[in-house]
Order: sequence, then C-alpha cells, then structure tokens
Amino acid sequence: MNKHELFKEKVLKWESSLVLLLLVEVLVFGLINPKFLIPRVLFGSINNFMTICIVSIFVTFVLITGGIDIQAGSIVGLTSIFIGVLWNDVGVNLYIACIFGLLLGVLCGALSGFFVAYTGVQPMVVTLGGSFLYSGLALIITNFSSTEAYKGISGFPQEFTQFVKGKIFGVIPNQLVIFIILVIFTYFLLHRTIYGREVFLCGVNKNAAEYSGVKTKMVIMSTYALSGLGAALAGILLTAYLGTAKTDLGKEITLPVITAVVLGGTSNLGGTGGVIGTALAALVIGILRFGLSMAGVNTQYLDIPVGVLLVISVAIRFAGSNPNIQKNLQKFKRRFSRKRKQIV
Amino acid sequence: MNDCNQEAMLSIRGITKAFNTNKVLKGIDLDLQKGEVLGLIGGNGAGKSTLMKIVMGIYQPDDGIICIEGNQVRLNKPSVALAQGVYLVPQEPMLFPNMSVEENITMGFRENIKDLRKRLLSLIKQLEWDIDINRKAESLSIAEQQLVELLRGLMRNSRILILDEPTSSLTFNEVQSLFKIVGELKKKDISIIYITHRLTEVFEIASRVAIMRDGIITLQGPVEDFNREMLVKGLLPDQAEDKQNIRCKTKPIDYSTTDPVLVVDNLCGHGFSEVSLKVFPGEILGLAGVVGAGRTELATSIFGRDVICSGKVMLNGEDITSMSTRKVMDKGLSYVTEDRFLYGIFKTSDVSANITASNLKNMGRIFLNFKEERKITDHFVDAFSMKVTSRKQEMGSLSGGNQQKVVIARALATKPKLLILDEPTRGIDAAARGDVYTIIQALKAQGLAILLISSDMEEIVELSDRAISLFCGKVNKIFSKEEISQDNLIAATFGVIKGEVANA
Amino acid sequence: MHKKHSIPRETTSVIFLILLFVGVGLINASFLTVDNIILSLNSSVIYTVVAIGIAFVIITGEIDVSVGATLGMTAAVCGSMVRDGNVGMGIFWALLLGLFIGLINGFGIAILRIPSIIMTLGTNGIVRGLIYVYTDGKWIENIPLKFKALSQVRLFGSFTWFYFLTLLAVVLMHLFMTKSQVGRYFKAVGDNPNGANLLGIPVSGTKIIAFMLSGLFAAIGGIMYVSRVGFITPIAGIGYEMKVIAACVLGGISLTGGVGSLMGATIGAAIMASISRVLVFLGFPSDYDNTITGILLIVIVVFDAVFQANLAEKMRRQRLAAKIVHTQSVALEEAPDHE
Repeated sequence: MNKHELFKEKVLKWESSLVLLLLVEVLVFGLINPKFLIPRVLFGSINNFMTICIVSIFVTFVLITGGIDIQAGSIVGLTSIFIGVLWNDVGVNLYIACIFGLLLGVLCGALSGFFVAYTGVQPMVVTLGGSFLYSGLALIITNFSSTEAYKGISGFPQEFTQFVKGKIFGVIPNQLVIFIILVIFTYFLLHRTIYGREVFLCGVNKNAAEYSGVKTKMVIMSTYALSGLGAALAGILLTAYLGTAKTDLGKEITLPVITAVVLGGTSNLGGTGGVIGTALAALVIGILRFGLSMAGVNTQYLDIPVGVLLVISVAIRFAGSNPNIQKNLQKFKRRFSRKRKQIV
Repeated sequence: MNDCNQEAMLSIRGITKAFNTNKVLKGIDLDLQKGEVLGLIGGNGAGKSTLMKIVMGIYQPDDGIICIEGNQVRLNKPSVALAQGVYLVPQEPMLFPNMSVEENITMGFRENIKDLRKRLLSLIKQLEWDIDINRKAESLSIAEQQLVELLRGLMRNSRILILDEPTSSLTFNEVQSLFKIVGELKKKDISIIYITHRLTEVFEIASRVAIMRDGIITLQGPVEDFNREMLVKGLLPDQAEDKQNIRCKTKPIDYSTTDPVLVVDNLCGHGFSEVSLKVFPGEILGLAGVVGAGRTELATSIFGRDVICSGKVMLNGEDITSMSTRKVMDKGLSYVTEDRFLYGIFKTSDVSANITASNLKNMGRIFLNFKEERKITDHFVDAFSMKVTSRKQEMGSLSGGNQQKVVIARALATKPKLLILDEPTRGIDAAARGDVYTIIQALKAQGLAILLISSDMEEIVELSDRAISLFCGKVNKIFSKEEISQDNLIAATFGVIKGEVANA
Repeated sequence: MHKKHSIPRETTSVIFLILLFVGVGLINASFLTVDNIILSLNSSVIYTVVAIGIAFVIITGEIDVSVGATLGMTAAVCGSMVRDGNVGMGIFWALLLGLFIGLINGFGIAILRIPSIIMTLGTNGIVRGLIYVYTDGKWIENIPLKFKALSQVRLFGSFTWFYFLTLLAVVLMHLFMTKSQVGRYFKAVGDNPNGANLLGIPVSGTKIIAFMLSGLFAAIGGIMYVSRVGFITPIAGIGYEMKVIAACVLGGISLTGGVGSLMGATIGAAIMASISRVLVFLGFPSDYDNTITGILLIVIVVFDAVFQANLAEKMRRQRLAAKIVHTQSVALEEAPDHE
C-alpha cells in the first residue's frame, strides 16, 4: 500500500524518537529506583501531570496556526473556582455547573481568539492580557463564595471525584483512559476532518488559504476557543481529582505546555505538527519530572530539564532548517573527514 | 572575463546570479561614467532589481566582478557598499515609519547630530525643497518618502546613486522637480543609474541608455543614437517574428452568437481605474502591462481580495461585484495567484492537500473524504503529467513547474467557468511551460473562458485570441487577433501607442 | 488629512496616570496627598528598573519573559553574599550574572534564530530551577540592617534615593537611546529591520546588546530587591516579567517594536504600581488588581493593532492610487469582431 509513504516517514521519524525517548526514560529511572517500574506507581504518576497533558493537546491547535496561548493556565483555575462556586454557593447541579464551566472556557478562549483573528494583535500579548484577566476574574469569583480563597471549595460528591480518581483493573487510572479518549478525539478533529485541514492550511500559509476561500478568521478564532475548552476540561478534571476547587490551579503550566507542544514536533511558526506528537512529548516531560523526583531530585529543580529540553529541541529544529548553519555543518564535516583521511 | 573599464565610475563585468535553478542574471556587462545619467530599461523579470541589489551589497553574485573607479571591490554587505559611496533609492521607500524625517536621514551616520542637522538643512535649502524635518515618516506622502530616500543618498555624498523607478508615484510637478535635482547632481559629478519604464523620461534626462532583457544587456549607448522604436525593439527577444502558424491552429471564435462569461464594466479599485473588458467562453483574453500597471490588483479585486470602489463585475449575467472570495469561487470564477511562493503554495503540505485546498466543502461533510481526495489528486496528476513521487510528496520539494501545475489544478478543482491566470509560467523551465500551454489550450477547447495575465509578450502572442494592455491602471489599447504582436504589446505597455504619444 | 505631528504616546500615558490619581482623589480625598503620590512612585522603583531593561528588548521587536527569573536569581546571589558580609562581590556577581543570562538569550535569538518567546520561556524555566539549586530551597535572610537601610534613605523630601537613582538612570538611558547615534539603532531595528540592514546597521548585534541590557537591569532590580524587601525566597520575582511587559505597553511601547521610549516605560511602571494602591483606597480588595491590568492591557493592545492596521491600509491605498495616471481611458468597443 503506497498510501501514506513519505509523509508518514517524516512524521513517524520524530514521533518514534519520542517513543524511544519515553522507553529510555522508563528504563533509566527504573534502574535508578526500581519502585518506579511498579505498574501502579508508573501509571499512577500520570495523574500528576494530566493537566499539562490535556491542555497541551488542545493548545496544539493554536500553535499550528502560528499563534501562541499563554492564558490556558489561568482558564484552568478560573473554571475550577467557577464550578466550585456555582455548585457550592449558588446551588447549581454539579454536572450542569461543569457544562457551564466548559462554556466559560470556550468564551474566554474565543475572546482572545477574536482579537487575534479580527484585529491582528499579536497572540502573545493578547493572551498575556487574558492570563491577567482570567486569573483576576477567578479571584473575584472567590469573593462570592463563603469559603476563603486559600482554602478552596471542597466536599464534592464521591461519584464526581471517584470518576476521575478511580482505576481500571486497579492499575490503570481513569484519567489515563480519559486522556487517551481525548487524544483520539483531537486526533480525529485535527487530522481527519475538514476543519482540521483548514487549521493546517491557515498555519502553513494564511494568504494562500485566503486565496483558496478558507475563512481564516473564523478558523483561527476557533482554535483559541478550543484551547479554552481544553483548559476548562483540564480544570474540571483536576478539581475532581483533588477534590478541591481553587483559583490557582494551573498556575505554572505555561512553560511545560508550550514545551510539550514544541517538543512534540509542532513548529511555532505554524503548519506542521500533530496531536500524537504533543501527547507523547507531554508524557515524556511528565515521566521525566516524575522519574527525576523518584530519583531523589528536589521537585523545585524540575523546571530546569524542561527548560533545557525546550531550548534544545527548538534549536535543533531551527539549526536544521537554517541554510547558513547547514552550510557551516557541511564545511565542518568536510574538514573533519579530510582530517581523518590524513591520519589514516 | 573582461577586465574592468578603468575610466568608468562603476564597471560591471560578467555578473551572473541564479536563485536555485532560476538564472536571473546571465552575464551583465555595464559601465557607468562619472557624472552621467544612465537610463536602465527592462521589462518585468529582466533582472534589474537583482542587479541593483548586488551593487548595493544585498545579494552576492555567483560570478563576475565589480569595479568602482578602476578598483575591484567586493560588496558583500550593505555597509560596504555604502562606504564605497553607493546608494540605492528603492522603488518602495524603506523608511522608519515611527521616526522623524531627520532621524530617518541621519540614521547610520557616525557624525555629531548637530553637525548633521546643519548639513541637512543647508542641503534642503540648496535643493529648494519644502519639507519639515520633524514630521514623522509615516505621515509623509509617497512622493515625500521618495524625496527622503533621495536625501539619504545625497547626505552620504554618494558617488553612485541608483534610482529605482523614482517617478512611479510622483505627480507631474514632482517629476519636474526631480529632474531639476538630477540635473544638479550631474553637475556635481555624481553618477546616476536611472531605472524606469517610462521611455520619455529616458530621453529627457539620460545621457546614456542600456536595455536589459532576460538577464543580459541587449543595447547600450548614448541616448542620441536611439529613438523610441529602437528601444522597444531592444526589449523584444530575438526572432520575434510572429508565430502565425501556432495561433492559426486554434479555431476562430464566433463572438456574435455567444454571451460573454465575464463582463467588467467601468471598474475602479485600488490600483486601477475605469477598466472595462469582456471574456467569452472558449476564449483567451491576454492582459499585458508592466509591473505596477494594475493587472494583479484588478484580478485580486475581482476575486474579492480588495475593495471595489465603483463599477460592476458580472459572471454569466450574475452580479458578483464585491463578493467574498469564497462566494466568487462558488459562482464559478477561479484565480491562480501571481506569486505562487507567497500566495499560492502550501509549502509543507502534501500535493493532495494543495490540490483540494479550495474545494474542501466537496470533500465530505465533517470528515475529510480521503478517498475522494485521492481520486481528484490522481486525476490531476495524470491529466497534467505532474512529476511527483507520490500523492504525499511535500509541495516544497516539487520543481517550480510542477508546483505551478498543482496550483492550476487547485483552481480547476472547483470547476470554474472563468479562470484568471496570473503569470502562469513565471519561473518554470521550458518543458513545464510547454505542458502548461497544453493545459491552457485544452481548457480553452473545453469552453472555459480564460483571462491570461502575463509579462511574457511571447506568451500572450502565442495563446491569446484578443488582448488588452493596461498602462498606469487604465486600459490603453485593445487588440484584436491580428493586431497582437510582441512589438505592439510591448509598446503599449510602455505607454507608446502607435501613432500617438501617451502621457508617460 | 492625517496629523503631521501625532501626540506622543507618552503624553497619553501621563494623562492617564494623572486622571487616575485625580479620579481616585475625587472619590477619596486622602489619596491625593503629596506623600501618597511619592509613596506610590517609590513603590514602583523595582518595576521601573526592570522595565527599562526590557524596554530595550521590546523596542527592537523582541520579547523577554525571563527577567523575573533573572531578578530572583541575582537577588539570591547578591543577598547571600551581602549576608555573608561581601557587599561589593554581591553587587558585582549579580550584575555579571544578569549580563550573562542576557547574552545567552541574545545568542539564541539573534544567532540561532530561536523565536524570542520560546527562548526566554526556556531560560526562564532553567533559571527558576537554578534558584532552587543555589538556595537549596531555603530563604535567604539576615541581611545586614545597613544594606536594608539603603533603600530607605530619602532625598528631596520623601523620595528614596533608589527612586532618584532610577530616574537618573532613566534620563541617561533615554538620552542614550534618542540622542546618540548608536542608541538609535534599537528603534531602527524594531521599526524596520530590513531598512536598518540596508543602512548598514548591525541588526543581530543590536538585539544581543538589548538582551544583555535587559539582563543587566533585571540584576539591578535584584540588588534593589535585596535592600527593599530584606529577604529572598526562591519564588522572588515570579510574575514580574508579565507586570513589566504590561508596564511597557501601558507606557506606550508597542510590542511590534520601533515605538515608544524609556520615559513611557517609567510612566507605565508608575501606573502599574498605582493600580494596587488605587484599588486599596477605593475599597476594592487587591484581588481586582490582575483583572484591571488584564483589561487595560487588552484594550490598549487591541486599539494599537487596529490603529496600525488602518494606517498601513491607508498607505497601501495611497501607493496604489499614485500609480494611476489620469488620462482618458480607451473606450470599449461594443463587439470585438471586426472583419
């Protein structure tokens, strides 16, 4: 079958190296601390970075169009406290509150997306403002609650929290299953629908997309709305997992999320990338952090390897496509091989 | 390779430059004497701006030498060229919009700012210009911006000034004012290369003239030795005999029994004015003109990319004026963009994605029907004899010719009634060009109406049933089949109508 | 017809600041005392210092989100050395560290062509982690009183000499940027990088210097932080980058580059610092801080983008209109068939 020849070749190369990296990590950390390899522990670790995983697969859409979203973390916290207050203080049915929470996330994302698509502001700036705005709104919403902000709202019904905390066969966390379902959903959305194709086209060449009759403004705005939806979803799941609704959930996830998307193969210039890569990269980063902490590294140091990973992965990609650097590399190679010849 | 001309101010020998496989300059030999104005004329794609960018140090030549006042120089950076006394006044001014005029002009100097201001003010006085140096550059009119660019060059005491189409945006009075300045500069022994499309200007202020065509200089000499017709001839390729036989192969079109597919009625928009034309089914209407004449602006405005100020566009009797791009395409009008690299190709997407990009709504409801996409891709790959390794080959790795075929296929996927082709064979090799011509002829035979925009006069002659020339945004001549010849076309696009002198 | 001399953006910002104070003063008169105003300005000193540095980067058209981390790191280094009695070394190493981080950023962005948002996001993460490594997760306390007192020294009434020093720095750097030949490179690079290249301006070099200045001033801010705050936690400086970027935008600096000045950054920082105090005085909990900042930021940036887009479109239309020669156009023949 000649179907997905060259394309898959290129994509598979990057993603298989991610899978390889994942396996290497598991091996190395397992050697350092054998407890790491216990299925319960290994799979259980995923719960800790599930928020990052979920948010990053949705943020992928935004980066493919060449934009960036740094407000997702704020939307996570905002959604959390929103459903908390709705359920606890306003008395709305919890599941209805969750639906409202998702809607809120979509709206927050769509607002920034609107400005990006229709007024031409830089995504970085508008989502910066959004991150202030939405984290601020979260704080304001707390004031409507009887509970103090730092405590957070708890006391959620068992079936709500158990749904997220539970495990299948006592080993595989429900969250992992949820994650896999979301990955499948976003995969189909991005790689198998007409909408997804339009997202790619807008990212590869916005002008050409316009000349092909694609409604680029709508498409671009929708990616931010999707990102907001993902953040809201992650917020709800995290709330259920922790059993507490707090305003500062998701505070520090921007760096890991962007790293996951970029490491996963999505170029921040837009046009290339994919959900699977992001998901794998998110797992790589999560396992890296977990493994390091199991190996005795202080949790606070964990941002260093993530930061290094980010810079190196982008540098490699840029060095790869930069003609000057390639020319210098060729020169280097030639000189090196000449030297070897001399020695021999 | 010859040696430089020792007496000349600027001497260029054997300069070649290619971008990938596209040979833009094929061995340029050019001399510029001290204190003279050299008029440099050339059609679109002749390579003028590439040559000037090489002289300015922006590009590096693949081969050849450049000498200034007899000494060979290596201009590998703009700062080197500036230090040598070369300054290029670009066609589109490259000012700093948020800075004042004074800041724009004095940027990059090492001198004391107060001294610079004094010099600048006295220079402005000398030239008798009325310009407020404290104004912000973004508030200047285009003419004023060009003057600022000129001042930059003068302040640098440049010995070699290159003016790239300096009058393209100037009014008549401003042009006269510019000529006066050029005269002053000549007296100061400053050498000027004056690039223009306007032949009358050359006769008015140039002392020597050079014609560039297809990457080489075809004519060079004192202005007195030439007249207008000779210059136009220099712009024509060799063996410009009309290829009557090829044209006669096609069936003559009977205009009396069919209605036009496209009617453009007195259309005014940004870059063109009062344009009227008709295109009939099975006909190819050639649209000729130099760069900036307004052809692409006309096409993109019809296609919904820009605002139309007045007038009407009718497609098969239906008014499509000012409709959005998507609607225009749905109604049956497709457009193949002029610059496929910028506006045409999805470089990192594969061939099938590129072909179906404008036809996505027929590829399924929610889910993309990959089978349908494969079918359409295969159909076009076959019909256009595209050389691709597979449907999934990345667009960026295709040759220019194959890329162009893909872009044309995309436009056809929506089964249009009228196709606008904008420079369909620019930058592609001869074999691909032949293929594209075959495709165009086949489309014509199927009854498609085609508006062919091209700077290649040979192409218009070979393919068109009728032709129109656009000059400075307006239609200045309509050609019937018999009247189409390279000679006539080139003349008209430069504003020369046989028997009359247009206001160039 | 468009204005020839447009109102400088800094004027708009100053007017906003004045209106802010006056407006609040109308509601609660005790706000409008000289002391209070000076207090507000004094409290903005660290923001102002860091904003000066980042302004260089933004004016060249890039962004630096690692300044908060740089501030925290340099504060930690300086603080630990001052605590151990070595003021001179503390200041020296802090400044050197700031320059070094800026150099790394500049190298990645100008030479390796890594987009500035990603590069500085990466260095931010790395430096944040390094703070924990350096401090072992512990707080740095017991800063000698004499050093802490430095921040309290007053000149000319209630102005701290820190603030005075900062104003001096602002004036000097502002003059550098606007009056010296080399200083003007920053604006040129941000305004039109291709045009700057054409004039022989070293674009890469200018950007690297900009990032080094950003790191340097973040370090100065770190040193001041040690004196003002008196103790350094591992999360010192968190969120500062966003606040100073917002300050620059509020002060009239455009994120696209080429627009704005250091004076504007200073005014913006003053606005940022004042907002919290204003809210307190109006009886709002400080929770509204972020929301207001966010709304302000979005409003300003959107207006700016719309304005720029309109201007660019106007220019484009002008260019095209100039190409049309107004002569009689050829009349359309009725039917194209002849003979």
